[in-house]
Amino acid sequence: MNSGVVPISDFNLALSVILVVVAGGISAALRLGLLKALIWGTARTFIQLTFIGYVLKYVFTVNNLWMIFGIVVLMCYVAARAAVKRTPGVPKYPVTLAFWSLLASTVLVGLVVVRVIINPAPWYTARIIIPIFGMILGNSMNGIALSLDRLYGESYARAGEIEALLAFGATPWEAIRGCVVDAMRAGMTPTINSLMVVGLVSLPGMMTGQILGGADPHEAVRYQIVVMLMIAAAVAIGCLLLVGFSYKRLFTADWALRSEILQSRR
Amino acid sequence: MDKLLEVNNITFSIGTGGRRVLATGVLQEGGILNVCGPSGSGKTTLLRILARLRGPDEGQVFLRGKGWHDFTPSRWRRTVHYLAQKPVIFDGTVLANLKRPFELAAVTSDLKFNPEKALELMKRLLLPPELINQDARTLSGGESSRLALVRTILVEPDVLLLDEPIAALDPRAASAVLRLIAEWPREVGGRGVVLVSHIGELAKLPCLSVLDLEATEVLEPETKKDNPAGKEGDGVE
Repeated sequence: MNSGVVPISDFNLALSVILVVVAGGISAALRLGLLKALIWGTARTFIQLTFIGYVLKYVFTVNNLWMIFGIVVLMCYVAARAAVKRTPGVPKYPVTLAFWSLLASTVLVGLVVVRVIINPAPWYTARIIIPIFGMILGNSMNGIALSLDRLYGESYARAGEIEALLAFGATPWEAIRGCVVDAMRAGMTPTINSLMVVGLVSLPGMMTGQILGGADPHEAVRYQIVVMLMIAAAVAIGCLLLVGFSYKRLFTADWALRSEILQSRR
Repeated sequence: MDKLLEVNNITFSIGTGGRRVLATGVLQEGGILNVCGPSGSGKTTLLRILARLRGPDEGQVFLRGKGWHDFTPSRWRRTVHYLAQKPVIFDGTVLANLKRPFELAAVTSDLKFNPEKALELMKRLLLPPELINQDARTLSGGESSRLALVRTILVEPDVLLLDEPIAALDPRAASAVLRLIAEWPREVGGRGVVLVSHIGELAKLPCLSVLDLEATEVLEPETKKDNPAGKEGDGVE
């Protein structure tokens, strides 16, 4: 049953460029102005992935705990930066807070997965850790970006309400709790939705990859279940940390709403 | 009468030009103090500063001789309560709106929601009792502003900071609100009102004056554009 990966030869890989030529032809014919971006994107895909292929091969061979840890930290930093770009409405974006939220949630959940659930030998097997942490990060990055965007969006929209509650003597937490709840829900809803439809609407990329790689579908499913649940946990923890750290930044030291929240949103 | 609230040389900047403004005045117990100054002179900003919803550049406010930083922001605002001109309505019924402040620790620690009092206040402000179970978001502008006033009075602050409380009201409702504002500080000892309203000047109330510190800059005369809702309120006189 386990036939392994069907390899793609260099020649066949080069043939895949035909697919881009089709897309480029459509772009040229309809003057979409996307041709340059398409060529550049194709080149980057080849270069970046080839590069990553060599890096991963090296990292998997060396399998040094500290090197893996460094890579995880780097991944968290890049994810925190990427989350910034998805929330243009957040002034003075808390990149550091996003980084720490991602790092804490990813490491916490990731360690449970690799030490308790999968438990390879040694536990810090790069071949397991890096893809697992990557999947956690990719999802919690989206989650925290959504929840932070919603936190600020709600605060701007409901500034009058927040201030009215403050005027009654509410603490910042009491005044903003409604917005925090909405922000958390916004961050976690996509993950929960995907728990509902997984396998019915879409076959997740990881499971597909394992099956293409020749794994028994039953084994692939087991991995996928673990992955789905760890993503749900990591998104929840990440959103909670970031929103928990961030809501205070909407207030002054004297528990008043910051003036920019009361103004128009650029 | 004792000094209730003392505004001691509060300075602050308004607008994008950063015009500096000075305010000084004393509110006596049982009294009503009117913030005097033309439109755009920072009257609303002053009320917000008095509620500590924004900071001044300099100056202090004393409540019964005690400086405002001797209070936590929460305690201060629960005692010196700001009611914005634009009424804030929370999701839910009128009753839910009236109860909302009683979910806050600062309020519940010394007061319980009193439904009879709520109904009595609604009656005084010409809000029919059957409104109580209506969705508050469906109220008219004038009803909303009176609901917000009822909600504020129910938490029994010591000092009420009222920003244009009759601007959105028809003459009948406006006079009911004015009657309540006039009676409220005298009903129980230790209360007072700071008011921003054109009616204050007409009633010759004592002034908490707002002065432009840039002497060369002449404050613009009152314009209608600044206070679009004010036209309706003008009918009261």
